[in-house]
Amino acid sequence: MEIKLHKPGPFSTIQDLGRLDFLSSGVPKSGAMDSLSARLANAALANTDEVAVIEFTYAQADIEICSDMLLAYSGKGAVFLDEERTILPANRPLALKKGTRLKLVPDGIGCRTYLAAPGGWDVPLIMRSRSTYLPAKIGGVDGRLLQTNDILRATNWEDKHERLFDYLHHSKRTHPQWAVKPMWQATSNTQVIRFLRGPEAEWFSEESLLQLRSSTFEVDRNSNRMGYVLRGNPFQKIKDQEMLSTAVLPGTIQVPGNGQPIVLMADCQTTGGYPRIAQIAAVDLPRCGQLKPGDRICFQEISLREAENLYLEQERHYQQMKLSIDLKYDIT
Amino acid sequence: MADLSLNANQSLRYYALGEQAITVVFADHIDPDISHKIRQAEIVLSNHPFPGMLTTVAAYTTLSIYYDPFMLKSHQTINAKDIQEWIFGYFVSLMDRVNVDMQATADILFIPVCYGGEYGPDLDSVAAHTGLNSEEVIAQHTSQTYLVYMMGFMPGFPYLGGLDPQLATPRKTTPRNLVPEGSVGIAGEQTGVYPLDSPGGWQLIGRTPLRLFDPKSEKPILLQSGQQVRFERLEHSLFETYQNDHYGNKTS
Repeated sequence: MEIKLHKPGPFSTIQDLGRLDFLSSGVPKSGAMDSLSARLANAALANTDEVAVIEFTYAQADIEICSDMLLAYSGKGAVFLDEERTILPANRPLALKKGTRLKLVPDGIGCRTYLAAPGGWDVPLIMRSRSTYLPAKIGGVDGRLLQTNDILRATNWEDKHERLFDYLHHSKRTHPQWAVKPMWQATSNTQVIRFLRGPEAEWFSEESLLQLRSSTFEVDRNSNRMGYVLRGNPFQKIKDQEMLSTAVLPGTIQVPGNGQPIVLMADCQTTGGYPRIAQIAAVDLPRCGQLKPGDRICFQEISLREAENLYLEQERHYQQMKLSIDLKYDIT
Repeated sequence: MADLSLNANQSLRYYALGEQAITVVFADHIDPDISHKIRQAEIVLSNHPFPGMLTTVAAYTTLSIYYDPFMLKSHQTINAKDIQEWIFGYFVSLMDRVNVDMQATADILFIPVCYGGEYGPDLDSVAAHTGLNSEEVIAQHTSQTYLVYMMGFMPGFPYLGGLDPQLATPRKTTPRNLVPEGSVGIAGEQTGVYPLDSPGGWQLIGRTPLRLFDPKSEKPILLQSGQQVRFERLEHSLFETYQNDHYGNKTS
């Protein structure tokens, strides 16, 4: 159960849901930027949530299927085409024959695509995660970006995968009627992102807080998996106080001395010393993971309870969906 | 022995850090005893996690507790209307039950350092800035015991307290594109060791062959908050010998 990368795409890595056990030693969480899409791709194969997927950024990959197998992809901003340039649909298992060539091409809004394999992609666990963290050269394939001629192997081809593959093959189809349902659609380059007030929100002027709620920010070129610099009027810090370094996490919006806010993302440092004006709601962090330089954000403030309820609702919905997919595999 | 529970004489407070973490605040100022308590509290909590708890992050005066609200809420025996209050209550009652021995600080870890020359290209500028000669800088730097207040900034990087103020030297005006792994530097009133090759603006006075970050080993991170360290001088000629002895011939 292997694939070969003839073109890896400009920035592709192996990710799972992150490396949580060493945050207190300064090791970043890492993991999929759009964790929800990574989970959906896995769910479509009845995988558990935490197995490793490929994260493609800006598409442009070319893949050869080296043996008959099932794959599934999810995400935004790209689609897979087969040799006849037919679109292979996202969010469902795809039965692919040995020798098939797939091309990942840009399509629509967003920039990250997740490709899942039965049981996850087989790379070693490093410090209890398979996520690639490039600055420390750990995780994924030798701690590096995927490159041309890399061969990746599926970890666990189970009977349920075999049955579904045979069923689809005999009915001469590449995919079933059913699909996992994405929880949001990317319809515009301007995303509405909900946030909670950060612990140091009162360190900023009322105008700055108003500006956070009412203006549109552009994601700067100087943005990557560690964080996004936002362009807009600089924020005014009114409290003349320095902070002792303390915990920050993906979704924290911190404001350094120049007043330009930074949204911390998957590879962010574990601690920081800049005031934290806001924290992005957990349900909207995956959406942020699809933003690219030039995209825009409109922020909307919500309360802690609202954010919590949105998250609980999302997870209930996700778990139900996952159960129904697992059931579909069982009855095939 | 005086004290006592981790919570004794403390007014712990907390705030929410989004809907997936709370930060418990132990004090407003940096203090070795506080660091020690935070580290002890982190160990106790990790030995007694609550359902849905994911991990913790210790810092100078805070311990942040990360959790999944859905996993916590799914647990049948927990009926928490206010999840944050519930976690804080759990934490405080755990701390009340646990005694900590303030004497039981860990052994001192010695970090061998090759000072100056190719290993510490800024030793002379630090000497010039401080008005000492380079031998005196080395003598000062190796005479102190330092405390790891917290880890952060990059994997395995210790925030060390205890630098002799006489050695304080501002960062370089132009940061280097590549500071090699193991470099020992000074930035303002801090001293530290780079666990990875990375860009950086610290004044580099030496380099250790010891690995602070070794991802494939059983103990990938050498230091932890609350630990005490000292630097000791190593002859330049022994740098590679030391690495070969400890990590085999392959020094990547």
